[in-house]
Amino acid sequence: MRRLLQYKQHMSSESANGPAVPQDQLTRSITGRLLFFYVLGDVLGSGIYVLIGLVAGAVGGAFWIAFAVGVTLATITGLAYAELATKFPQAAGASLYVNKAFRSPVLTFLITICSLSAVFAASGSLATGFARYFGSIFGLVPALLVTLVFIVILTIVNFIGITESVVVNMVMTFVEIFGLVLVLVIGVVVVVQGDADFGVLISFSTQGNPIFAVVAGVALAFFAMTGFENAANVAEETINPSKTFPRALIGGMVTAGVIYVLVAMSAALVVPVDTLAGADAALLEVVRADRLPGSVDVMLTVFAVIAMIAITNTTLVSVVTQSRILYGMGREDVVPAVFSTIHPTRRSPYVALIFSAVVVAALLIIGSVLSRLDPAVDVVGRLATVTVVFLLFIYALVIVSALKLRGQGETADSFRANTPLLYLGVVGNVVLLGYVVIDDPSSLLWVGGLLALGCALYLAQRLSRGRRSPAATTAERA
Amino acid sequence: MHIILATDGSKQSLVAAQHLMSFTDVAKVDEVWVVAVVSPLATVPFANELGDEQPDQREGLSFREEANAATAVVMAEVQAWGVTTVHRRVLSGSPAAEIVKAAKELGADLIVVASGSGGLSDTVLLGSTAHRVQHSAPCPVLVWRPTR
Repeated sequence: MRRLLQYKQHMSSESANGPAVPQDQLTRSITGRLLFFYVLGDVLGSGIYVLIGLVAGAVGGAFWIAFAVGVTLATITGLAYAELATKFPQAAGASLYVNKAFRSPVLTFLITICSLSAVFAASGSLATGFARYFGSIFGLVPALLVTLVFIVILTIVNFIGITESVVVNMVMTFVEIFGLVLVLVIGVVVVVQGDADFGVLISFSTQGNPIFAVVAGVALAFFAMTGFENAANVAEETINPSKTFPRALIGGMVTAGVIYVLVAMSAALVVPVDTLAGADAALLEVVRADRLPGSVDVMLTVFAVIAMIAITNTTLVSVVTQSRILYGMGREDVVPAVFSTIHPTRRSPYVALIFSAVVVAALLIIGSVLSRLDPAVDVVGRLATVTVVFLLFIYALVIVSALKLRGQGETADSFRANTPLLYLGVVGNVVLLGYVVIDDPSSLLWVGGLLALGCALYLAQRLSRGRRSPAATTAERA
Repeated sequence: MHIILATDGSKQSLVAAQHLMSFTDVAKVDEVWVVAVVSPLATVPFANELGDEQPDQREGLSFREEANAATAVVMAEVQAWGVTTVHRRVLSGSPAAEIVKAAKELGADLIVVASGSGGLSDTVLLGSTAHRVQHSAPCPVLVWRPTR
């Protein structure tokens, strides 16, 4: 008893002020392996299932080159993220890095709004991609309805908090990989049977300069890599981040990149490029080539389900990210504080979640109306392009921030990205951004619209500041 | 007696702790651990609504800082009550699983959790952290419910 008393006195002096050993140790739950699968699952779902047809149409049979270039450029950007996330592990991503580097409130606000808009557009594009695979099984349901229900369900799932499950995340990632392995197997079967025409891998669809064809494809292929930056969300909870974070992030991106290039080659060898380009759900065409034993119909259904799971996984992370950004902005009084309202029981930012769902639904409805007026408008492609415009801008600034923040916050074991590669990354991102904007100026209308929404929220906050209930007006609108 | 006070940063979690203090003999309490769990993959991994001082968010939202701030508020109340041995544990992962794990590791005699806000959603959406903690805790669990 006396011993216990002594122990008590000893402990109390320390623990009153905070951490003491060993009872007060801090634990973190994200291991390198978990982070690797988080990145892989997030990246794999976004592009290849949704966009492969569009990339094939833009480039021709050699569209795997577009994936290779896009993946490389994204991975260089990933190096900058890895360096910054190990130095500043807070869960705020690009806006935090830019704020640290430039100390300019305007630029920080702009980058936050761009990040938010990018995820909005990405969610819209992914939801539309989901509807196309859904339509391949249940043909009768209108696509717009499917996309809207999809977004609503994911919002509810996030409200309840099922996304917390690390296991579900892992399982979904494995399903995604399985789907792509299936495509690879079909490709191998075609090659083994001697039906492959390897010439298609170096053929370009346009008459003009192949470089322009590739650049056009790269811009779209870039969308396939988006999502890796969400890894910054969990940097704070990563065990031994300066070692595991760069390894898991870059490892996940390279793995995804290799899978992409192989899948692109496989698809080009199995299916004529025109068919790929014309298809709503292009990877289904690979399965439809009927190279595997068993019924084609069953395989098509299985594959469509896999594709839907893949897209759902990535969209879930998008929905988490967009409401988390809004929540953070609400906390910082950049937008009305109502966005940082937390549900008392579920601990979710329900206002931010609802608002995000409304914005994505609005994008989907506008896109649907536009494509009805003009069938040439492709909602998936358009929203993907809008996402890419935002992301290229963000990525370029993040790399510049990484370079500018050299010498700050570094410890002996912090990760340092290769400097010439970072310069190459800035140039690559800027060139691509220039190309996308010149090639498709109408995407700027969408970009402008989303930026205007962000500024409207900011103004709502400024105008209502000082009132008793600063956020009431926006709450009603949302 | 070794007690775990779980907080998710909500006002209810503090009320639950206060409730315990309102009827428990402080002399019988040897040690208190204030436990907070950050859930990295949740939309908001940790939200602190306790205390007047919020951590400076301009240097980036840190959910770990939020959890530290929440535990500090609860710890201060427990110390004011008269318990000298108060620790904090900021854990990471799924809240219910981590609370139960901590209780096993620390050999806790009692876990105190809050359950719900009394709103409609609480009636519709069962299966909260408190529910799961009760299910697999190695010791008695005090679940504070809102009084209506």
